[in-house]
Amino acid sequence: MLSLATQTVTTNNERKMYKNGLYRETDKMSDLICENYPMVLVMSRFGIALGFGEQNIGEVCRQNGVDATTFLAVVNFLTEEVPTPVDWTDSHLSVGDLIRYLHNAHDYFLQFRLPHLRRKLVMAIESCPADVAFVITRFFDEYASEVNKHMAYEEQSVFPYVRGLIEGRKDPKYNIAIFRKRHDQIESKISDLKNILIKYYPGEGSYLLNSVLFDIFATEADLASHTRVEDFLLVPAVAALEQTL
Amino acid sequence: MRTNLKVAIAEPADIIRYGLEMMLRRLPGSRLQLVEIASAGSLLDLLRLHKPDLLIINPLLPGSFGLSHIKEDCGCQEMKCVALLTTPVDPQTLEVYDERLSLYDSAEEIACKLQRLANPPEAVVGDGEEGQQLLSQREKEIVVCVVKGMTNREIADRLFLSTHTVVTHRRNIARKLQIHSASGLTIYAIVNKLVELSDIKQ
Repeated sequence: MLSLATQTVTTNNERKMYKNGLYRETDKMSDLICENYPMVLVMSRFGIALGFGEQNIGEVCRQNGVDATTFLAVVNFLTEEVPTPVDWTDSHLSVGDLIRYLHNAHDYFLQFRLPHLRRKLVMAIESCPADVAFVITRFFDEYASEVNKHMAYEEQSVFPYVRGLIEGRKDPKYNIAIFRKRHDQIESKISDLKNILIKYYPGEGSYLLNSVLFDIFATEADLASHTRVEDFLLVPAVAALEQTL
Repeated sequence: MRTNLKVAIAEPADIIRYGLEMMLRRLPGSRLQLVEIASAGSLLDLLRLHKPDLLIINPLLPGSFGLSHIKEDCGCQEMKCVALLTTPVDPQTLEVYDERLSLYDSAEEIACKLQRLANPPEAVVGDGEEGQQLLSQREKEIVVCVVKGMTNREIADRLFLSTHTVVTHRRNIARKLQIHSASGLTIYAIVNKLVELSDIKQ
């Protein structure tokens, strides 16, 4: 069980939460999902299930023990075309909920998205020459293990450090700047696979292969926005938390 | 604009900053990572944090502090700087900038200017014609070596080239094929029958 302790950094700026075009606590959760269907992933990573009826975002969050400010911060960050730079030193964001969200996202990629994509890919390329199918599958497996390594580092080094900070313990040997420096993009290699299938795939086209391609596009976008949440929400929020200890 | 560039926009006027950002995002094939800097106060911190490849900045922002000072202070000596001209500026101030953007530049003009800064012409050698996507014979030989797991040094020795030339060829291959990993090149090589599976299974 993860620590759900919510570290709040005090603030006096309500202004940011009530800007035009951003979602607010009083908006209906169902409107959010219908207008931005990728947000269904965000919701589920915060541990919120479907079937919330007519309730608004604030109500749904409270019922599920999720900090609505943090939920909205992620939602608004991901849905805005041009994300507004946010000064996290004076926002009240639950770093604990953010970590839980990121952990669930890792779980989703590693336990569901990538294995599911692999099964579909293997089926879709069954009809192409065996040597091509072999190298494509090998490429995918190498990629999946890279993503695994990337996320394992965050799970084993970064998140425990941040959970420590939330409980008021500062590890003298680590700080979030170390993570910021070594944090690389993990979506560029899957875009290689996309380019290869589009430009060089030698077999017959099929509905299933098209569907694999759609999945790769979606996975690439999802990984990119995951990385952005880490770089532009987690890192500044943790840096602000470090300042308070 | 096919390059993966980190670009910071430092401009206090929201309308101008958002506008430029939207234009950059909509450039065809844009892979830019954008950082917004809204005030002189956060300029140094954000540059230190993000270390952009390119800074598009209102020349009034650096103020008396000076651009070269900023680069040094933030450890961004390699960063290219573009002056975003929203008001008349003393030409002498502009000498330290690598390029200038005017409020009336079209999307194409902006794309051209950024492209030039991102890929200086001398970086492209060999048959660097734009639109030339087929690999040359030499490039195919290099793909085969890479796929077999040879290092740049080994490839250079085998083909009687300098390692520098091998690196340049590899960059051109990546640009032409839009494949950036060795395992991606393996798929390309198998599909195009440049190698056999037995050549690469260790």
